[in-house]
Amino acid sequence: MRIFSSLRAVVSALFHRTQIDKEVEEELRAHIQDRASDLEHSGVPRAEAERRAKLEFGGYQKFKEECREAQGTHFLETFIQDLRFGLRMLRKSPGFTAIAVLTLALGIGANTAIFTMMNGLMLHTLPVRDPGQLVELLHHYPDEPEPGFNGFSWDAYQTMRDGNHVFSDLIVGTMNSFTVRGDKLQPQSVFGGGVGETFFQGLGVKAAAGRLIGPEDVHMGYHAPVAVVSWSLWKSRFDLDPGIIGKNIVIDDAPVTIIGVAQRGFYGLSHEAQQDIWLPISLGPSPGWGFGLLARLKPGVSIEQARAEMAVLFQTVVNAPDAGPFVRGMKLRIEPAGNGVTTPLSQMLSTPLTVLMATVGLLLLLACANLAGLLLARGVSRQHEMAVRACLGAPRARLLRQTLTESLLLSLVGCAVGTFVAYFAAHALIRVFASGRFIMGLPVHFEALTNPDAHVLLFTLAIALLTGLLCGAAPAMSASKTEPAFALQQASRIGESKSRRLFGKGLVASQVALSLVLMSSAGLFVEYLSHLRNLNLGFERNNLLLVTLKFPQSDDNDAQFSRLSQELVMRLDAIPGVRSATFSAMSPMEGPGASSFAFAEDHPEKRTQASINYVAPDYFETYGTPFLAGRDFSARDQAGSSVAIINEAAARDCFGTENPVGRHITLSHVTLTKGDKTYEVVGVVGDAKYNDLQQPAPPTIYADLLQQGFIGSQLAIRTRIDPGGIASAVRQTEAAVLKAVPIVRIMTMNEQIDSSIVPQRLIAMLSAGFGALGALLAVIGLYGLLAYTVAWRTHEIGVRMALGAAGTDIVRIVLRDALWMVCAGLAIGAPLAFWGKRVAGSLIPDLPVASPLPIVVAAAIMIAVGLIAAYLPARRAMRVDPMVALRYE
Amino acid sequence: MSEHAQILPGTLDLLILKAVSLGPLYGYGILLRIEQISHGALLIEQGALYPALFRLVRQGLLKAHWDTSENNRRTKFYELTIAGRKRLRQEEDGWNRLVTAIASALKAQPEEI
Repeated sequence: MRIFSSLRAVVSALFHRTQIDKEVEEELRAHIQDRASDLEHSGVPRAEAERRAKLEFGGYQKFKEECREAQGTHFLETFIQDLRFGLRMLRKSPGFTAIAVLTLALGIGANTAIFTMMNGLMLHTLPVRDPGQLVELLHHYPDEPEPGFNGFSWDAYQTMRDGNHVFSDLIVGTMNSFTVRGDKLQPQSVFGGGVGETFFQGLGVKAAAGRLIGPEDVHMGYHAPVAVVSWSLWKSRFDLDPGIIGKNIVIDDAPVTIIGVAQRGFYGLSHEAQQDIWLPISLGPSPGWGFGLLARLKPGVSIEQARAEMAVLFQTVVNAPDAGPFVRGMKLRIEPAGNGVTTPLSQMLSTPLTVLMATVGLLLLLACANLAGLLLARGVSRQHEMAVRACLGAPRARLLRQTLTESLLLSLVGCAVGTFVAYFAAHALIRVFASGRFIMGLPVHFEALTNPDAHVLLFTLAIALLTGLLCGAAPAMSASKTEPAFALQQASRIGESKSRRLFGKGLVASQVALSLVLMSSAGLFVEYLSHLRNLNLGFERNNLLLVTLKFPQSDDNDAQFSRLSQELVMRLDAIPGVRSATFSAMSPMEGPGASSFAFAEDHPEKRTQASINYVAPDYFETYGTPFLAGRDFSARDQAGSSVAIINEAAARDCFGTENPVGRHITLSHVTLTKGDKTYEVVGVVGDAKYNDLQQPAPPTIYADLLQQGFIGSQLAIRTRIDPGGIASAVRQTEAAVLKAVPIVRIMTMNEQIDSSIVPQRLIAMLSAGFGALGALLAVIGLYGLLAYTVAWRTHEIGVRMALGAAGTDIVRIVLRDALWMVCAGLAIGAPLAFWGKRVAGSLIPDLPVASPLPIVVAAAIMIAVGLIAAYLPARRAMRVDPMVALRYE
Repeated sequence: MSEHAQILPGTLDLLILKAVSLGPLYGYGILLRIEQISHGALLIEQGALYPALFRLVRQGLLKAHWDTSENNRRTKFYELTIAGRKRLRQEEDGWNRLVTAIASALKAQPEEI
């Protein structure tokens, strides 16, 4: 306990304890001196007088100490005293302490973990000047569910920059991956972006060294070959060498000079996608509609004003004569961006995180109720102690403080352990999230999402204090209410006031209610997951092996690779267990796809947004997608005119009820072909999901991969046996045929589907875990309360049995009590669970909210759990020996 | 020693209040005043005076200030607060009732029963 003495010293110093001590000493000495003088006057020699004065005074040190105590102790000193005592009490009952701390650590840890990620992803403000003024611009199509995309053309940027009156700055930037080498740097991929001339200035980002890119570096058509790097890149690759300024490096084969380092902590426009290098915007590849826009509102301009003005201005962009057909119908959205621009990661994670946050909040409440019950029961066993303290003159407030200090102590220890748990949990969580499919090439800035900052620590401390107060208040009130005389006499016998018993039962009922909510939501998500897994995909998901190849990025060898690919497919077909093999530009659920606007022949005014894939012959056979009309691609097509196969949705949208086979369809602005291209429809296939499990199958147009002269990096192999069994044979064959082409990954279709629904799977998994944990806590709570109910009713049970009650009657009484509590809990919990379902349903589309099954199952489980928890105490009650129980008095 | 009476627990406070009620005093002065007004009959352990003084100050019955005593020593002077004056009256009444009751009880003769 040395820590306490040093703490005490600190407190003493803080509150002038030594000063007060000095005054006491001065006063006491004055007394002794006075007495000595008096004695001297009566004729005693000085030395003897002083000796006698001291003697008469009595125990000098003892009285000094008493004076100090009589003055009362300081708040903090009492607190330390209480803390010390609390620790001693906790050490005395390690079992209770362990359960309590563990319960709290899980509750607080789960909350902190989820909050850490939410904080990093949704609440963290950009380290820039006045982030509250920042807004981002997104384009979207009103008839589509997607929330919008922050990408604009250069023309759109210029029109909006020059025409608006609401922004003090319109900041343009792109996100790109660069290959960086030179100056001792190994060639490496670094994520960064191009920046407009007002980027750093407009954001208010300062330079940590050198200078940042400004108007003098950026001109369309001419660009200064300069670059700015992030502080973390400066540290990790250059060891904070000040000589970095002026260094020449090579970015994407172009020599540039590093002119500066951005301020520490600045990673670009979003917190979770870390950018480490910036070039003047014209240096990067020029994406058509790939310029991200961020704006700073003029002081006094509201976001509504900006929306109104910019909507009009954007119409001039959309209606420009040279605007492509896909721009038509596009609308502008403006959203606050103080927390960074929207990224696919934040879009993907914000809803799951919100749902999880609500879940862990409930879990913490449950933990509170549980702990309050435990503390209450413990309070009864300590009633005697409290009575003695009250008899010895401890005021009620003091007892209240002591008990509250103990519960706060528990919650703080729980908080410390929980923070530890949270750190690892957040890391594990983000890894699982990130194991999901490729997120548009954005490198995830893991540290930003998993490292707790001051906000997180404050949050944790706040919930810990709140928890301590919440679960400690009622037991503390009840403990401090002890009537000393009564308690001293009766503590061992009656022990329970009616109100306290009711409160205990209320706690159990609320635990049951909370568990019901947790478990029914767990059931809901599990059902949702199984619904997702059993969706009709439009292709056969089992026994399908997917192999991703990485072809070198030059066009020179395409013809040769195309020929070798066809040879590979033939060799794969020969492997025993393989039914068919094919390749395509992309595979379903792989991730990003291509889309375009399709115009049917004779209907140029009607535009259909269609997903695109390039597939080799046998694609549909391999995937198990049925032909509804027409034929598959064949080798003959390679010489003829462009052909395409469309799915049912595309046929319906483009041609209505007409037969599409033999008709023509034009695609505009396809990612790979650049420009319009017309195809003859040769076949119609069934609808199949494209890259999103939850969206209905989009209109899809499949072009002939071989005819278009592309190479497909996605091999698909339909097997008769378990696809994992042929993976090694596939590897060998591939290595033999395509020597220079490495395999990036091999996975089954089912694995690929699972990786496309990682957030959903994670919510289902976590909420199921939390539900189980909730049920467990409820069991502990119920068992604890019943066990101790039976213990204090031993006397009553003994009397009943002595009067002739059978053991089964006693069991019935105890079980009835338990059932009552569970049913009360269910009655409270069911409406809450229904409400929770509705809220979750509003956040997540397609949630099977109509199904009553989860709540019914959860209720059944709670009743079963209640009976099990009641069984042991009931059995103990049955075995009460009336004689022993009565003599026990 | 025999001519001194040990004071009853709890009466020290009463004595201090009484002593101080006659005029502000410092610690040693209070001791002398009690000796004087009890005609030397009450024995007080000298050191015990101070914890009692601190307690009374904390209870708001006394207030203290630093000053120089007639012996030219810097020390603390105590005087009654309004609450202290009230308390003194209450304690006096209580004490008198108690003494009367005990005295009459002790005077009881067999024939009175």
